[in-house]
Amino acid sequence: MSRYYYYLILINMIANIISAVPTILLHYRQEGAVSALLVGMVLGTIIVFVYTKFFNAFPGMTLPELLVKTTSKWFYYPMLFFMAIMWYIAGVSTLITYTFLLIRYLTPDIPIMLVGLTLIISIIFGCFMKTDRVLYTIEIIFLINFPIIVFIIIKAYTNESLNWDFIMEAMLHVVEMPNLNVIAACIFLSLGVVNLVIFNRFFTNKQNFGLKQIIVIAFIAGATIFTTYFIPIGFHGYTAIEELVYPWVATSDSMRMRYFLIERLVYVFLLLYLVMAFLSILIHWHVAVELFKFIFKFERMKYKGIHYGYLIIVLFFTVASLFLIVTLTEYQLFQYSKIFFNLTAVIFFAMFFVLFYVSRRMKGADNKDSEN
Amino acid sequence: MVSTESLSWIVSQFKDTKELTQKELEFENKKMTVLYIKSLIDQELFQQYIVNPFFEMKTEEQFRVYLTALPQFQEVQSKEEGLFYVMEGNILVALQENLYAIDFKLAKNSDVNSTSVETTIHGSELALSDNLMTNVNIIRSFYHQPSLIIEYYLKGEVNKPKVALIYDQEKVKKKALEIIKEKLQQIDKQIITETPQFNNFLNDKRFSLFPQMILTERPDRVVYNLAGGKVVLLVDGSPQSMIAPAVFFDFMTTMEDNYHTLFISYYLKMLRYFGIFVCILLPGIYIGAASFSPEVIRTELMLTIAGSRMGVPFTSFVEVLFMLFFMELLLEASIRLPKAISATAATVGGLILGTAVTEAALASNIMVIIVSAVAISTFVIPVNEMAFAIRIVRLFLIVIASIFGLAGLTLGLLCLIMYLVNQSSFGEPFLRVYNYGKGDKKSEGQA
Repeated sequence: MSRYYYYLILINMIANIISAVPTILLHYRQEGAVSALLVGMVLGTIIVFVYTKFFNAFPGMTLPELLVKTTSKWFYYPMLFFMAIMWYIAGVSTLITYTFLLIRYLTPDIPIMLVGLTLIISIIFGCFMKTDRVLYTIEIIFLINFPIIVFIIIKAYTNESLNWDFIMEAMLHVVEMPNLNVIAACIFLSLGVVNLVIFNRFFTNKQNFGLKQIIVIAFIAGATIFTTYFIPIGFHGYTAIEELVYPWVATSDSMRMRYFLIERLVYVFLLLYLVMAFLSILIHWHVAVELFKFIFKFERMKYKGIHYGYLIIVLFFTVASLFLIVTLTEYQLFQYSKIFFNLTAVIFFAMFFVLFYVSRRMKGADNKDSEN
Repeated sequence: MVSTESLSWIVSQFKDTKELTQKELEFENKKMTVLYIKSLIDQELFQQYIVNPFFEMKTEEQFRVYLTALPQFQEVQSKEEGLFYVMEGNILVALQENLYAIDFKLAKNSDVNSTSVETTIHGSELALSDNLMTNVNIIRSFYHQPSLIIEYYLKGEVNKPKVALIYDQEKVKKKALEIIKEKLQQIDKQIITETPQFNNFLNDKRFSLFPQMILTERPDRVVYNLAGGKVVLLVDGSPQSMIAPAVFFDFMTTMEDNYHTLFISYYLKMLRYFGIFVCILLPGIYIGAASFSPEVIRTELMLTIAGSRMGVPFTSFVEVLFMLFFMELLLEASIRLPKAISATAATVGGLILGTAVTEAALASNIMVIIVSAVAISTFVIPVNEMAFAIRIVRLFLIVIASIFGLAGLTLGLLCLIMYLVNQSSFGEPFLRVYNYGKGDKKSEGQA
């Protein structure tokens, strides 16, 4: 597979450490989280496999293009609109989470509107870039930050305060019935692959996707899920973890760099996750913008050579996000995220049927073409 | 082709000046007319190869054959062409109703300069010259390929300098070449004096910050880039060449990287990239740490900074801008100053201002260190054009950092990267990571 494909999956997995995912996982730790992690990992890998196989069969084509060829208008317009909203929400949930984090830890004296606005403005114009440029941006920023990620992981696993007894204790709960909320949150970690609905435009050559690639992805998914769930428990203990709103920020604050310019690792962690949140929102909103562009044909709206259609998207994204940032509380965000994760898990499994239908119709279309 | 008619037309173009010299030579039933601009031609060559043989040869026909055999010989097809040849420094010879041009151009600027902008320790010390033909000669003699194409254009309506477009036909990036040729056609400027002007002429955007072509004076860089499939632009009278398309990493390489051993060149490259980050981020980090989140930096260091800032009446933002402003002034002044005075400027600026400012408690000691670190790391960037752009970007990041602290600085850096990636230089993305290991086997296309 092209390396850009892995970035899509990796960024989604890494960025979700700051979202509500770890909170959800840890919240249900006595109600079947551990077994749900395993189930979620397997289901997540299945989703990655199916979506990759599907889009690999149609190199260079986006889902809207495929739907136009195979289905009728009354079906694909509402569906794509719904998907665009989904992607917008996925981006906005990361945005809100990170705004709260910034207010809480890094810039407590700046008004929340300004924090949100700065984040939105810095990202929103990037979403209008061409798809290949988005991927190049992701790659460069990711490569610059990769050493920091590796450093934090090594630091966490080799830390003296990491108590493996707590982790063993947590693992003992594996025999419980898997929890549905946790499964959905785990699946959400693997959903980076679904960005292919637009990003497949970039992969114009047929990719090499076999057992090796699946094993790599399953391994990455497993390692991420394990780290997300067990490391905070190892640091804080099985019972004390209950009281933490942001388990991973607290975990990174338990680490210390004794000889470095920055002593508390939490600040490195926060800035790193600012970058990761940026990338994650960039990916999600790029897909949302492209889908909206497809549905409403914004490029046709012109007044004296000015594309005011794009302005509508920018305004809508900014105002809606700011409204959500100001109105939502942390508890509401947690609850809504849970619902959103459950919804995405169901929808993207249900989309299997659409994919199956499309690929059948496309085969038929190909045969017809070759006959003619 | 009636030569007398053309000659009188050309002479009539110069009617009010005394520049043009016209001579009728007649000796032993041989007759010819020569036409030239005295200040443009090499008079010794003229006498040795045209005047002397004319009087020595037996017949007019023999002399004509002799002329055609000269390497500088060219046949003139029309009177406009004739006019152009005269202006270029050719000698027009009218013989038996035929018009010939003999290139005896005298160029006093054909000496090869020594490198003054891109100096290196290893590698050649010689740069390009001010003369186009000498430059073409240098490039051709460094690049032995029959596929090397040199195309000449006349641009600039008033002074009409010769512009040369050089590329390797087999290796050149076709798309970039097409764009460049198309944009070259569209140029309508009155005066073109230097090659760097093309950076703006070939660029459609009115507001652009980063250069889209590399400016270089080193022949080895020109040859290296020609082999890499790039297009080189030269203008007569300019000692610099422009290379397009250029990507960000081109601006961060010196030719010396190829002349060092592997580890040394990696070390130097790393140093350079580290330098560029320091130069962009350090003032912003200082502002963010001193004014917004002092808890980020370790306590001992933060106490040192705070202690050094004791008595400074400004916020860190004003302090940084204040010192940077003087540093930029010093930089700009030392370019313009005559060499004799520039040493004084350095002393006044560096020593007196540096110490006095801290003693007067207008800036902290640490601020002075930061400003000098920033100044030094700006000079690490090998191509000067990029250094200028980076200086402006730095100001932009300082402003963001002073509004939004460290988080703003990070976002600003991300936006800068995004902006760079979104730029294109003649169809090539300005910034992207290349995978050299894979060769040409790509598993993805462009969207």
